[in-house]
Amino acid sequence: MKAIIATTILGIIMMFAGIMAKEKKPLTTLATILLVILLGVNIWDLTNTSSLAPESLFNNMLRIDRYALWFNTLMTGCTLLYVLLVGREIQKVGEHVAEYFALIFFILCGVYLLSCYNNLLILFIGIEIMSIPQYILAGSDKRNLKSSEASLKYFLMGAFTTGILLMGITLLYGATGSFNIVSFSFLQSDHLNTLALAGILFIMMAFSFKVSAAPMHMWTPDVYDGSPTAFTAYMATIVKAAAFFAFLRLFQVSFGSLSSHWTFVLAIITAATLLVGNLTAVFQQSVKRMLAYSSIAQAGFMLFAILAVNAVAWQGIIIYAVAYSIATIGIFTVLMKLKDYTYDGFNGLAKKEPLLAFVSTIFLFSLAGIPLTAGFMAKYYVLQALIQQGSLLWLVIFGLLMASISVYYYFRVIIAMYFKQGAAELNSPVSGTDKFMLVFTCFLVILLGIFPQLLLGNI
Amino acid sequence: MKFLLLAVDQNTPFNYFPVALQLAIAIGFVIVMMAATHLLGPKRKTHDKLANFESGIPSVGNARQPMAIKYFLVAILFVLFDVEVIFFYPYAVNFRELGKDGFYAVLLFVGFFFCGFFYIIKKKALEWED
Amino acid sequence: MSIYEILFWFLTIMAISSALGVILSRNPITSVLFLIVTFFAISGHYILLNAQFLAIVNIIVYAGAIMVLFLFVIMLMNLNADVEPQKGRLLQLAGVIAGGVLFLVILAALKSATVLPLEKTSSDIGLIKNLGRVLFTQFVLPFEISSVLFLSAMIGAIVIGKKEETKNPLTP
Repeated sequence: MKAIIATTILGIIMMFAGIMAKEKKPLTTLATILLVILLGVNIWDLTNTSSLAPESLFNNMLRIDRYALWFNTLMTGCTLLYVLLVGREIQKVGEHVAEYFALIFFILCGVYLLSCYNNLLILFIGIEIMSIPQYILAGSDKRNLKSSEASLKYFLMGAFTTGILLMGITLLYGATGSFNIVSFSFLQSDHLNTLALAGILFIMMAFSFKVSAAPMHMWTPDVYDGSPTAFTAYMATIVKAAAFFAFLRLFQVSFGSLSSHWTFVLAIITAATLLVGNLTAVFQQSVKRMLAYSSIAQAGFMLFAILAVNAVAWQGIIIYAVAYSIATIGIFTVLMKLKDYTYDGFNGLAKKEPLLAFVSTIFLFSLAGIPLTAGFMAKYYVLQALIQQGSLLWLVIFGLLMASISVYYYFRVIIAMYFKQGAAELNSPVSGTDKFMLVFTCFLVILLGIFPQLLLGNI
Repeated sequence: MKFLLLAVDQNTPFNYFPVALQLAIAIGFVIVMMAATHLLGPKRKTHDKLANFESGIPSVGNARQPMAIKYFLVAILFVLFDVEVIFFYPYAVNFRELGKDGFYAVLLFVGFFFCGFFYIIKKKALEWED
Repeated sequence: MSIYEILFWFLTIMAISSALGVILSRNPITSVLFLIVTFFAISGHYILLNAQFLAIVNIIVYAGAIMVLFLFVIMLMNLNADVEPQKGRLLQLAGVIAGGVLFLVILAALKSATVLPLEKTSSDIGLIKNLGRVLFTQFVLPFEISSVLFLSAMIGAIVIGKKEETKNPLTP
């Protein structure tokens, strides 16, 4: 709870820092310091809350439990890692560096709301607070026409989907007379009306859009490709993870008892997401676009957790969110160092920058889910959750098949780096700090792959 | 016409009946007048009469030119503060009843907006540059 | 048929037909004008529901301010060239099917909806006084949080709309 207030105030401090500052470099340093403070506030929140009873705040608007607080802390940590890794790239995007950081703080405010909302109104406001800064960040590179296109596309599609979300909330309210997610009247009785089911369907579609699941994924490649790479790394990771957490919260806490009604629809969406994401990624020429499709494919795996409706799903989504975020931010950091975003741009990177090639190999291993990396444990947990659920074994097998396809396009990058001749051109020289941070990230990926309990121990 | 007076002390949609009546009469008057001039007046269309009137000189160029974004910037900032002001209305009606808590809530809200306003001024978003 | 019902049907037909006008008219300016009519019709509905504050806000903010923004956007575009992107037949068919399915879902939902036993509440619930009381006590958190949304909108207006004061344009 303190974190929500803190991130808002820190965002405003960042805004005013932009007026004061003459240089860009101190702004990044300031943002890093403020994020460390925010992380501290999160940990303070975490230690102050007892592990047992969830705490209701503001007339039941928020319901704070350990999962939510722990998720917030992890996401703040990932954001800190993100700023440390790509802070210098953010400086290059445009003039308004302080504003970009302020928007990141506001996005975090949305993330915190989405992790502990107890009322559909807060869900709506949280999604908006998270989305609107993203529309701005997507269009922040004004000299680039593709960036503007990405922003506009994202905004129009996002606004339309928010309309669908609101329609769903309205139908649900009409059916149950409540916005509170734990007190819908269909939870008490078998009495279930079609109005509520239609509402659930609408909300599911809106969430599927926000997490870029298959029939609603069309915006993802264009937006991720067109936005400045520094911000794509953020959109594809922390924001997506938060949307998944909100998705899981609603569909487990309040629609969990109705799972027989929506599981089949969501299972088809999941299968389509895995199929489209993985197969299309195979045919991409640009690594940035490939990563956009791979993020769709990874969303397919995260949907497993929502289908599972059990306790393992919570652990699965937390591990998956962190593992996927760290590896994706890492690979995007490497990508930003390169001049050419196609596969050919990676040719011969191992000879020129062996360290860069090594760390990206580890990140790609993690994304593909090779054992001993965090990605493997993440996939293990979500598959475990779905196996425990029991009725969707075909989806588990399909997921494993698709995971093996994903190995192909991730390894294409590794092959280009190690076995192809060429001179990969760097955008900017890799500094010592960059190298240290990349190695640290790499270390995290392996550490979490061996001891995934580190991510769960506190719950 | 007695029911118009009856509705005054209770809040029902029919309090708005006089407003609706006046609206209907106003719109009806305009429509009747426009239709009447259209039907009754003589129509002699010549080329000169149909041309756009621009102070007597021949019209130059195209009226549909893209306008500068600075108008839009001011307009969008106006909308934001417009919405802020609207929130005061329900507060003002309940001012006494809400007491301290309500006051602090509104103060915080206005504080945020003041930060935004200060930021906008400092960023020179309202200065009319060329 | 009471006067209430007559007004309801009049406003409903007005809202639906002008909403159709928004999407069917070719000229974007006409679309915006139709949209204003739609907003007025919806405001009329709010008044029928005895939610007068919402009706006024709807007119001030939507029909007033946001419509001006819409007009600005239309004027920002180049309207001289009368180009409308041609959609393929297949795409149109897909759109019709998707829209039809959506319509069916809503229709089915509304048809079989069992209306909750509504409590007999006073009809004054939408008045400004009651609305304000609920807004500043029960829903005070969404109210405060929405200011974060406004702040990010302000930043967005500056970041996207303000000319960048670059002395030396960066080399591509």
